[in-house]
Amino acid sequence: MTSRSLFQRSCVLLGFIALSVYLFYIGKGHMLLIDTNAVTINGKELRSPETIEVSIDGKPAESMGRAERILVLVGGPKHSITIEVLSGEDKTVEKQFTIPTFMDSAVVSVPAILGDAPPESWITTFTAPPVEEAPAEQMQHEQDTPEAAAQASPDATGAGQPKP
Amino acid sequence: MSSKLRNFFIDNAVVILFVVLIAIAIPVSGLPGTFLMQEILTRLGRNTFLVIALLLPIMAGMGLNFGMVLGAMAGQLGLIFITDWNIVGIPGLLLAMIISLPISVFLGWLCGSIMNLAKGREMVTGFILAFFMNGLYMMVVLYAMGSIIPIMNPELLLSRGYGIRNVVGLDGVRQSLDTLIPLKIAGLNIPAFSFLIIAAVSYFIIWFRKTKIGQDMRAAGQDRAVSGAAGIPVEQTRILAIIISTVLAGIGQIIFLQNLGTINTTSSHEQIGMFSIAALLIGGASVTKASIPNVIVGVILFHLLFLVSPMAGKNLIGSGMLGEYFRQFVSYGVIALALVLYEWKRVTQENDSRATLRGGGAPAAKEAKGGAA
Repeated sequence: MTSRSLFQRSCVLLGFIALSVYLFYIGKGHMLLIDTNAVTINGKELRSPETIEVSIDGKPAESMGRAERILVLVGGPKHSITIEVLSGEDKTVEKQFTIPTFMDSAVVSVPAILGDAPPESWITTFTAPPVEEAPAEQMQHEQDTPEAAAQASPDATGAGQPKP
Repeated sequence: MSSKLRNFFIDNAVVILFVVLIAIAIPVSGLPGTFLMQEILTRLGRNTFLVIALLLPIMAGMGLNFGMVLGAMAGQLGLIFITDWNIVGIPGLLLAMIISLPISVFLGWLCGSIMNLAKGREMVTGFILAFFMNGLYMMVVLYAMGSIIPIMNPELLLSRGYGIRNVVGLDGVRQSLDTLIPLKIAGLNIPAFSFLIIAAVSYFIIWFRKTKIGQDMRAAGQDRAVSGAAGIPVEQTRILAIIISTVLAGIGQIIFLQNLGTINTTSSHEQIGMFSIAALLIGGASVTKASIPNVIVGVILFHLLFLVSPMAGKNLIGSGMLGEYFRQFVSYGVIALALVLYEWKRVTQENDSRATLRGGGAPAAKEAKGGAA
């Protein structure tokens, strides 16, 4: 292989790697939770209007009330949100926002957007609440031990035992 | 004249047989024309690319590339990775194609090199190689993924903690290509972008035939010894044909699966080779000759029969399962029929040329002389 062809092949390889990184960046999927719960930013409480319609990236608008969340799946980092306020003062707000590439699930705060809060406070990482231990499952585990099973149903324990 | 008619029927026996079968089955099935049209358009967009992947090895004299299953495996690996990384839409599909590319190239090189060791028996070699590689693919997918190869999405993994689940949903990329250019004509949804891709790859095949490498492939396909004596690197050319075919099969499998919207991890790739080859043969191609029109006609006829046969079976015998059995019968049967016809024609041609050398003249030549007199 000549040095020229080695250089050409290296360029093609680098081109493919660069293209892959770019595709990863523009195609990364995110789960957005559009949230109308009240938020406190810099000591100021921001509340959502009674009724609004929200649309992400020009998709069909969805109606929302106060303290609600809707789920939207999007791809890529840059998005637009259109909020139409239907109760009180009628106004339409359209804003652009960016989601960090490795933020899989994000909460988009509608009150923060409508309340002219700084853009960095519009998006927060969504962390799922911890899963509570299911009491029924614990009871099942306890019953699995022979002592617990004997306590739970003394009649049944004798049936499976080998007779002397 | 009778000889010409005979040759026409022999050359197009498979196509004629299927046209007759479909002409009988469509009215019996009772399926509406719009439904059939919509399904055929969808299946054309879904399957044509895979069938086109078979053309270059035929041109290079390597027969029907049963090894295309290797490319399909590479395509599936690409799709599994983008599903794990949650890359959606067209970027996701393009990334899956880029991931499949080096795997396809390596597998194609391996397949081509092995086929060079088994010249004259490429088809059965490719068939068995696909079985062998299926074992390795299973090992990667069911063992290495999640244990050696990191998989971040726990929903993809089996409950034991490693290995990919049997069914992987492609919700993020489902029908991204088909719906990229929304086109509706007379109530029918046309997968316009998929058709554009098929047109582009068809143009590539036609252009490639005219290039120096394409001419080398045709020469190597016609006579290896003469091509080698003329300075054509026959073995390298054959490997290149298989590599291109495998790469196209990988991309074709991604297009196929994005339309379906799910991967059956352990079995989506298995039937692809058989169905694509059957479709090509039904279109009038042979082991030594195939073209783009053969691909289009084959996909239409094969899938039309696939569509109508279950309902036709149900209406005729009262069991829809007959149609399901018929699908398998058709796929394997048409390959067998095409191979038998090819071998029979080859033997007939050899006998004719021997007779000509002895001075007796071929039957066809005799008839021609008689006609002229």
